[in-house]
Amino acid sequence: MNGPAPTRQATPGGRLPLRLLVQLAWRNLGRHRRRNGMLLGAIALAVAGVLLLNTMLRGMEGEIREVVLDNLTGHVKVLGQGYLADPGIEHGFQLPADWPQGLVSEEAFGWAARLRVPAVVMSEWETRGVELVGVDPRREDISFLGRTNVTGERLADAEDRRLLLGRTLLEQLQTAVGRRVVLVTQGADGRAREVGYRVAGVYESDFRALEKVFAFTGAAALQQTLGTNAVTEVSVRLARSADDDAQAATASALATVFAELAVLPWQELAPQAAAMVAMADFGVFIYFAVVMGALVFGLINAMATAVMERVREMGMLRAVGMRPGAVVAQVMLECSLIMALGVALGLVVALAVFAAVADGIDLRTFDLDKSLEQLGMRANFIPVLTVADVVLVVVMSLALGAVASLFPALRAVRIPPLVALTGGRGEPGPKRRRRRDAAGDNP
Amino acid sequence: MTEAAVSAAVAQPSAPPRSFLPLPLLARVAWRNLGRRRLRTAMSAAGIGFAILLVSTFTALQTGVYGAWIDTATGVMTGHWQAQHPAYQDDPRIADVVPEGTALAARIAKLPGVVGATPRAEAFALISAGERSFGGLVHGVLPGREAELFSLPARLTEGEYLPREDSAYLGAALAANLGVGVGDEIVALGGAPEGGVAALALTVDGIFASGQAELDRSLLQVPLAALQEAFGLGNGAHRIVINAETGEDDSGVGAAIAAALPGGVRLLDWQTLMPQIEQSIRFDRITADMIYWLLMLLVALSVVNAFMMTVFERTPEFGMLLAIGMRPTAIVGMLLLEGVGVWALGALCGLALCVAVVVPLQVVGFALPESEALAAMNEQMMMPERLHPALGGKALAQAPLVMLIGTLFAALVPALRVRRMRPVEALRAEE
Repeated sequence: MNGPAPTRQATPGGRLPLRLLVQLAWRNLGRHRRRNGMLLGAIALAVAGVLLLNTMLRGMEGEIREVVLDNLTGHVKVLGQGYLADPGIEHGFQLPADWPQGLVSEEAFGWAARLRVPAVVMSEWETRGVELVGVDPRREDISFLGRTNVTGERLADAEDRRLLLGRTLLEQLQTAVGRRVVLVTQGADGRAREVGYRVAGVYESDFRALEKVFAFTGAAALQQTLGTNAVTEVSVRLARSADDDAQAATASALATVFAELAVLPWQELAPQAAAMVAMADFGVFIYFAVVMGALVFGLINAMATAVMERVREMGMLRAVGMRPGAVVAQVMLECSLIMALGVALGLVVALAVFAAVADGIDLRTFDLDKSLEQLGMRANFIPVLTVADVVLVVVMSLALGAVASLFPALRAVRIPPLVALTGGRGEPGPKRRRRRDAAGDNP
Repeated sequence: MTEAAVSAAVAQPSAPPRSFLPLPLLARVAWRNLGRRRLRTAMSAAGIGFAILLVSTFTALQTGVYGAWIDTATGVMTGHWQAQHPAYQDDPRIADVVPEGTALAARIAKLPGVVGATPRAEAFALISAGERSFGGLVHGVLPGREAELFSLPARLTEGEYLPREDSAYLGAALAANLGVGVGDEIVALGGAPEGGVAALALTVDGIFASGQAELDRSLLQVPLAALQEAFGLGNGAHRIVINAETGEDDSGVGAAIAAALPGGVRLLDWQTLMPQIEQSIRFDRITADMIYWLLMLLVALSVVNAFMMTVFERTPEFGMLLAIGMRPTAIVGMLLLEGVGVWALGALCGLALCVAVVVPLQVVGFALPESEALAAMNEQMMMPERLHPALGGKALAQAPLVMLIGTLFAALVPALRVRRMRPVEALRAEE
């Protein structure tokens, strides 16, 4: 070791350079390898545990949001006033062909206009209620419809007069691709329309409920059937990178264009999903508090012992002029150092486990798909690790380590150097303090 | 007294060559040893107490919530058990009925452990009012029995629950979509089992809001006889819905009901009928268990560390004890007793705090934070409005027992080093 020796002359007041303090702290940690190894393991386990629990929570949050966005909701939707309370063609609106789509901002992934009306579908055998959705299939890459598996044929374009049914509904109706079904719905004039449709194909979704609800046909064809040129919604999907601000900007741009209509973000269209996402945000802190709370007792315990068994040594250092601040700094450094090492190790473990499950965990294996369906999640659960969460956990852990070390560090300083040197072996409990007072050597 | 006892024990001529300390003495020594490092004892006990407090409190919470959740969810209309045609659950077809449903329900209702049973028939139908038509599910029910057993009749927002033979009780969203109110007439059209069209002319006498979007949008209840007659079902029912005293499966009610069923009728439990609730509970349990185990493992690790420090510091002392003839097993025993002492301190504090937190909540219950979205989610998941934790034997015993085993293990691992100690080397070990 080069550089100035930590003598009183070189550094008046016994101030030790930080580098030396770090070196000392590092060596001190090496004095009790087994104990510190165990502590390191516990910290790593806690950090890895919190991070992995977070990846699950974030995965759930992201999944719930994605599913809502995918299921014909999109980030922002334009609806006719009153449509939500009474969904029907009478609450539709005209979408001018030249509506300023540029206003949706560069963040938009795409948009789709749809005509969505309640209907009854009847096969030879069964009758079911559905939502009949007129779509332009070329625009539906913003929803699950653009990506879903279809047996038979997809809808060709907005003029397609055939029907795309969900697998579950098809089974309930006991019909098949190529067969005809009858749909009854209400036209723009208020009178019932009874129309025969040929089933073009069957789509599959991760949600059986969804397969039962939506029947798709071409939007222009449906407009013709209902005797209208209105649509009931414009759904805007933003790019994956879009944040809440981008969504708000898009919503306000749309609100300017469609001043007469209702412009709603997905959080208002699916408040339950939004509530669950909000709870997930909060859960990150709860996990941290619970797991790190368990760790902190062991941390204080180990650091307090490390301090107490070195009372004489510290007394000596103090006697030769080391400042109390330096003693505190040294103990805190030791604690922070082991915490940093544990956090690093925990990160490695968490990343390794995460890499193993990053492709997704198939929860059907655990027979949990129905519960997930209820929560609005797909069966293949994909955990999500975000840089922000890693940074949050690392920073909070290091801060916790520093705070937890304060207690043993201050204990170390409280012992007067003389008492420490003369074998004051440890805790200045009330008895010893009384004895000291009697002897008159308490400063 | 202690010294006298020790010397007496050591000097007894009849004592085995290596001294054998009586348990009470060992326990007292262990207890005093705990006082030698108060901070360490306090920290280890606090860790154990923290783990027990959290795990016990949340277990009590889970137990209470699950029970109420099952009762609320099955209490809407599903019931704890249902008897059905074997094919009906997976593929509901109108022809698949349980014959003589009303009589069978009456027989089942008399079984011990059964609160009540009621037959229900159902059919999908096109429900029309004037020019407006919507698809819906029509339930034929026995109004009196239904109101006794289930909560849906009480979710009435307007009118009365099926007062007449041609009454209809329908969901608020369905009523709004149809544009009808109490007193208006509606028609339900569906396919009869033998083919052909079945028609029901009804008067809206009541409207309900269940909080579940799907029910409110599509469900219509009518008197059983009206549905049976219109659809030509005879005395058949699609479901015999049964409420037991408890949803717990261990009461043997299921076996008794199954034995009372005629051939060709299948009994389904609520877990099969509402897999989403059963799985949600399991999902919740699994995630909570992961946290509990992580929590307890972390605390156990810190206790292992504490005992390692203890054994390390007291090596010369153990050397001395070995030198004067104490058996290594007695020292290990003493350390284990110290472990039990730490555990007892932690468990007492943890459980006391847990009881202090849970018991008041158990009495008054608590509601989730006020939020419309949360309330809507609760209704959709069929959760009760107020939650009451249930502090049972499991909640009180499980975490302390796991922590006891963990603590004993934590004390044992370093303590076993004592068996390898040589008295002379140990005595010389640097303090």
